[in-house]
Amino acid sequence: MPAYLKSETSVARARFALGPQGPFPECRLSRDLERRWLHYALLSRDGEFGLVANVALLGPPEENSSARPRMTSILLVYRRGAGWKSSQFNAETSVPQWSAFRQPHSFNSESELRIRSTRGHPAVNLRLQRTSHPCTSQCAPFAGRHHLRWQSETGVVARGDWTHDGVLYPNIEAIGYHERVRGFWGWPEMGGWVFGFANDPALDPSSETSAPPTAIVFTLIQPDEPADAATGSVMLWRSGRLRRHFPRRCVTVSVRGSLDRDRVCHVPDLSNLFGVPAMAPVPRRLVISANMGPDWTMVDFSCDAAARVVIPSETGIKPYSVHELIGAVSVAGSVSGRTFAFDTYGIVEFAGGAGGD
Amino acid sequence: MNSLAAPVATEGTARLLVETVYELSRRAPAIIAAAAREMAGIRLCLHFGDGTHAELRTENSCLIASGELSGNPHVECYFDDRAMRLLFDLERRPVDQLFEGSLDVRGERSTVLAVWRTFQLLAQRASGLRSIQILWREYRDRTPEYWDGKPETAAGAAAGASANGLRLTRNGLQRPSDTGWAALDYLDHRHPEQTDRLPALVGGTLIAKSRLLWDGRKSAQWWKFDAASDSDLMETMLLCKARVRDEIAAIIPQREPKADLYDLMHVYPQREGKGLRPTLTIATCCALGGRGEDAVRAAAAIELFHNGFLVHDDIADGSTHRRNEATLHRAHGIGLAVNTGDALNLMAVDAVLSNLPTLGLGRTLGLIHEIMHMCRETVEGQAIELGWIRNGTVPRRDEDYFHMSTKKTGWYTCISPCRLGAVCAGETNPEILDRFNEAFRLIGIAFQIQDDVLNLVGEAALYGKEPLGDLLEGKRTVMLIHLFRDADPISRGRLDEICRLPRTDKTQEDAEELLDAMRQFGSIDYAIALSNHLAHEGVRRFEEDLAFIPETESKGVLRQIANYVTTRQL
Repeated sequence: MPAYLKSETSVARARFALGPQGPFPECRLSRDLERRWLHYALLSRDGEFGLVANVALLGPPEENSSARPRMTSILLVYRRGAGWKSSQFNAETSVPQWSAFRQPHSFNSESELRIRSTRGHPAVNLRLQRTSHPCTSQCAPFAGRHHLRWQSETGVVARGDWTHDGVLYPNIEAIGYHERVRGFWGWPEMGGWVFGFANDPALDPSSETSAPPTAIVFTLIQPDEPADAATGSVMLWRSGRLRRHFPRRCVTVSVRGSLDRDRVCHVPDLSNLFGVPAMAPVPRRLVISANMGPDWTMVDFSCDAAARVVIPSETGIKPYSVHELIGAVSVAGSVSGRTFAFDTYGIVEFAGGAGGD
Repeated sequence: MNSLAAPVATEGTARLLVETVYELSRRAPAIIAAAAREMAGIRLCLHFGDGTHAELRTENSCLIASGELSGNPHVECYFDDRAMRLLFDLERRPVDQLFEGSLDVRGERSTVLAVWRTFQLLAQRASGLRSIQILWREYRDRTPEYWDGKPETAAGAAAGASANGLRLTRNGLQRPSDTGWAALDYLDHRHPEQTDRLPALVGGTLIAKSRLLWDGRKSAQWWKFDAASDSDLMETMLLCKARVRDEIAAIIPQREPKADLYDLMHVYPQREGKGLRPTLTIATCCALGGRGEDAVRAAAAIELFHNGFLVHDDIADGSTHRRNEATLHRAHGIGLAVNTGDALNLMAVDAVLSNLPTLGLGRTLGLIHEIMHMCRETVEGQAIELGWIRNGTVPRRDEDYFHMSTKKTGWYTCISPCRLGAVCAGETNPEILDRFNEAFRLIGIAFQIQDDVLNLVGEAALYGKEPLGDLLEGKRTVMLIHLFRDADPISRGRLDEICRLPRTDKTQEDAEELLDAMRQFGSIDYAIALSNHLAHEGVRRFEEDLAFIPETESKGVLRQIANYVTTRQL
């Protein structure tokens, strides 16, 4: 293990590796499809660099077994013009992983997040700082007892060193999104989802925490069944506080075009050599509108670069796909009589879609 | 698509119709074939408000539009300018806009309805092609504005938003309730698709429709959407051909001996071809869910083999011209030409092996297996034909020609490119790969017969070989087989005498005599009818055997190629 990583191994402390339970039930992972996730998505302020990382724990293969939870972690780093680089599903992480949920009151103080591929790059060595409060817990039940629960936090500020394709880029400031997920689901049952976020890159002079003036998170969960399980929402933060939650009836989502398969890289690299199912035609444009009383917002995303993360399924031979898209976002709206509009870069996920997903 | 003659210059609105049919014949033969089926045998005369006229008729499976009227139409239509514009403006409901006297249609009920179905089909399927939309937009820009009010523009909307004091994004986003535009309407009307991106090798030639994923109640999964059954073949072929040409240029070394080897290898494949094989390979790969780029090296390998075969074939046949230039052995001597052909074949093997790091061992071995089979079929076919010529034999049955033609050109022109594309996409199941065989065997034979006809009756500049070259070299074509079968014994004796002459002893007059005999005994008409029958059968098998491939723009490319042989004007 590299010197800069702490000595405790993630696996040995797996039960606690993702921090305290927070608002989620205090219970250990006991079933094979039970999952906990910490998710990080960051973009440098100029849109030059992007990061998506996932640290996941999966329950034991046999129900109620005393076996330790299994852990997977992956890091994707993007550099404009050079594309995505990825680790395998065994990225090394500092322990415990940074999470606003496990440090709920540490505004204006930085703590570390280090993730790197076992071959040394891509890698990030960051100091993260929370600026905003997380949303209340969201839940999407589907396919019987399968469910997904998550909490989102926008405006996470990260400073530090990024390594992309073996080249170190020091002292980069980024802003992004953090999420904690807990649930029980199989990938075929999951179907798919559309998710994304955008932070207003301007600095808010009125904020004591350097929170973005406006930040937005949208989600559309699209399981195969039951028919009414699909749900969408848009959440809006202002100066670090969740100000408006546009629920499902108030939201419309539409897309157009599809990405050229030749310009979507498959990660991890090994997945290119296996017979993974064909990639679904991932939309190129995404527009979301939300209306509730006098409040409204519109989000217009256009993809610049995309990566397909091929995730092995625990219950079938065909893998699951999560497509990470970076691109320009325009956001406008009005909440509680205050208007906002900004152009920035954002990250959008289209998950599912490939044959067998 | 070099066999299609450009439309005769026509003015006004008639020009739009003639250009539309011409462009569709080049870009989307499947649409023309479907329209020709609806219009079968009907002659339509169109009169427009600007005083121009056009005629639409069918010949075999071709839809012919011209600005010259030949009389005796089954259906006559008159459109004034306003009615004409309504045809091309899907934003307006014609019933709300049409004035009395704007439109007049005369003819028998059944034929009028057939014409109506034809135009409905053309409007619905052709309007999806970006290139056709551009053509129509140019027409609209040339004609006056007939509407009371102009649709709101994005710039206008932006100005309104600014007046409200809202800081604008670069897209001029505005409150949905102010405009009444939810997410879908915004994508559909306010901000059309950006077109300045790099085009995909296959795909992107259709107008992308917006889709609603979530309306507040119902969900449409993002990966499920309506099928696309067409594509712009010409645009796709140009892209695929150019991409494979670049790949070939990268594969062939830039080192000595340049003048006597590598320069010849670089230059020969650059000679203008249609790009059929690269398009088939790449489109099949995409149609089966693969990435177009993954099929580029396999497509380059086929092209290199093809060029190597051509060099050797020209020597064996004693041909003088290939693709409008002197054959390699005529320009540089037989020795260098044979060596260059060998080297092109070697580089083709190299191109196949270079797939190993990207496609993996399994798919690369699959490619080698397919390439080996393709080469074996080709040399066997060549041996059969050369044997016929050497022995002075003209087979009596068309089936003998089908057998030889499939082996000699069918495999590497049509069947193998599809199979290789499928392997690149990861499909190695023999049962699946064999689904391509029959449809593209029939299409390949039809294509070869048409090529042989064009060598006799087509313009030399368009065909690219010396006029009547096939007759001079004694090529056993369907026309020659039919001639020997149907000619009277006296004529056959004279024809046999000419055919047995070595190429060097044959004169242009001998070739003319053979051609006259073919015309006299109806051999050329027979060949055209036969190719038409085979082409239709090929299209039928395409739709049946390949129904398992999902309807996408990539499959649309394959469909256009299948239909190309049915609508080729001879």
